Amino acid sequence: MKFSIPIGPQHPALKEPISLRMTVEGEVIRDADIRLGYNHRGIEKLAEEKTWIQNIYLMERICGICSHSHATCYVQGVEKLMDIVPPKRALYLRFLVAELERVHSHLLWLGVAGHEAGFDTFFMYTWRDREIVMDMLEAISGNRVHYAINTLGGVRRDLDEGLRQKILGQLDILRRRTEYYLKIGANEPTFVARLAGVGKLSKEKAMDLCAVGPTARASDIARDVRRDDPYGIYAETPFEVSTADTCDVLGRVVVRVKELFQCYNLIEFMLKNLPAGEVKVKAPRRAKPGEVVSRYEAPRGGNIHYIVSGGADKPERLKVRAPTLANYPATVEMLKNGFIADIPLIFAAIDPCICCAERTVETVDLRTGEEKVLRFSELRALAKERFDKNPRKGTGLWPF
Amino acid sequence: MNDLDTIERIKGALGSRIVEMTNPAPGRIFMTVAVEDLVSVMTNLKRDLGFWYLATISGFDKGDAFQILYHFGLEGGNLNVRTQIPKPAGPDGASADKTAPHLPSICAVIPGAILYERELQDMFGIVVDNIPDPRRVVLPDDWPEQNFPLRKDWKFERPPEVIPGGKK
Repeated sequence: MKFSIPIGPQHPALKEPISLRMTVEGEVIRDADIRLGYNHRGIEKLAEEKTWIQNIYLMERICGICSHSHATCYVQGVEKLMDIVPPKRALYLRFLVAELERVHSHLLWLGVAGHEAGFDTFFMYTWRDREIVMDMLEAISGNRVHYAINTLGGVRRDLDEGLRQKILGQLDILRRRTEYYLKIGANEPTFVARLAGVGKLSKEKAMDLCAVGPTARASDIARDVRRDDPYGIYAETPFEVSTADTCDVLGRVVVRVKELFQCYNLIEFMLKNLPAGEVKVKAPRRAKPGEVVSRYEAPRGGNIHYIVSGGADKPERLKVRAPTLANYPATVEMLKNGFIADIPLIFAAIDPCICCAERTVETVDLRTGEEKVLRFSELRALAKERFDKNPRKGTGLWPF
Repeated sequence: MNDLDTIERIKGALGSRIVEMTNPAPGRIFMTVAVEDLVSVMTNLKRDLGFWYLATISGFDKGDAFQILYHFGLEGGNLNVRTQIPKPAGPDGASADKTAPHLPSICAVIPGAILYERELQDMFGIVVDNIPDPRRVVLPDDWPEQNFPLRKDWKFERPPEVIPGGKK
């Protein structure tokens, strides 16, 4: 007997609307299907009607966690189209925010992974530390979520000396605590046992399915846009691509923790070598006709924008591909032959998070091949019918 | 790997199938191929040159034609394979299948392309031949037929609001 269990699109455990349909045989998932589009807002069409400046704020609102990623990817593409070069200090500040964003996103993710693995202390710890980063971001940009620090030709706010020293000081706390998490992650036997071997994605499969970001890097694919196709200041900053070869959820945790240390190094480097000078140059209202492909390494993986300008003050076409979309085919592969109990963990490993199954099931009678979706009430009626036909002997008595 | 090496390698593998090749910026290579050669070009790129990472596929409505761009992420840059298919006449793509633009599916070579090809079908009304899974991906199930949002002649009109039972 195979069951098809729908999860979502609206579910108390889902942070975002997405529909998953798992075909299960007992506890084992045989096939998975993902249905998207519940959150499709038509941003690409809308972008064609907004000016270059307005689109920065539209791009920022694609996502709440990696808002800076989309804005930066868009801004650096448009700057190329407009032929303007932002001052050095502006670039350093822009990518300082980018790395801080990566830290907050990875800390958030570590917490979610801990929570899904049933290790809620870990979740509380990492989210406490995430507040430190959020406070830094608020001090730099004035906002906690949509930083709105990018503009065409530079950044909108400068950083003063006091704040610079303060961030450097807090970086030490973060580094110390992340070391502690690495120790826990590698040595806590229950945590390791829960994550190891779950959600296998072989290197060949990851390549076939074009996986990106930490998901690909945990399958031993050393791909990172910051190194492969250096944008902004990454050609001159010290950093290494973190990989793991275990191809499972544990590997994805390890990659993200290692990346945190790289982020701290980058932030420290940027703050210590912050050049003096202006933070923006004036941008023209129109861009020359042309096309540009802008790539950016977001916390979840490679982000790509394709921008076409027709010479007006609006883009002709703005194509956005966010990293999570690229990881869906790989997720289906990871879920296959796993257990139902691992769904939240595997799904959390790419970033959205799903908990328990819903209350409608589709039953497939393998003998007749008949498929049927049963409501909970019908299921209950069936159970009652069965119970009434086979009454238990000796009707139980309520003890009190 | 620098751009010149990459271009040489691609030229060696593809030969005369390259219609045009440009290198407008460091790390950005644009290559045009005919739509008939698309699948064989993709096969060569992946099997012989090891370009496995297809970042995305972007469609673009140029008015009289659709430009399809396959973005590859390489170690040391980015390769964009461009191809064009004619756009059917008529404001809304006219009478479906006979005039609908067709594009071959590359999923047999690069399985990860499936979501991008489904998105092309939804947003541009391009029929992708031999696609393993032709269902809609981003548009809702009750979306009207022959409405392709990213075509330039498609305009969004907010449907008039109907209050059940009328306004009181």
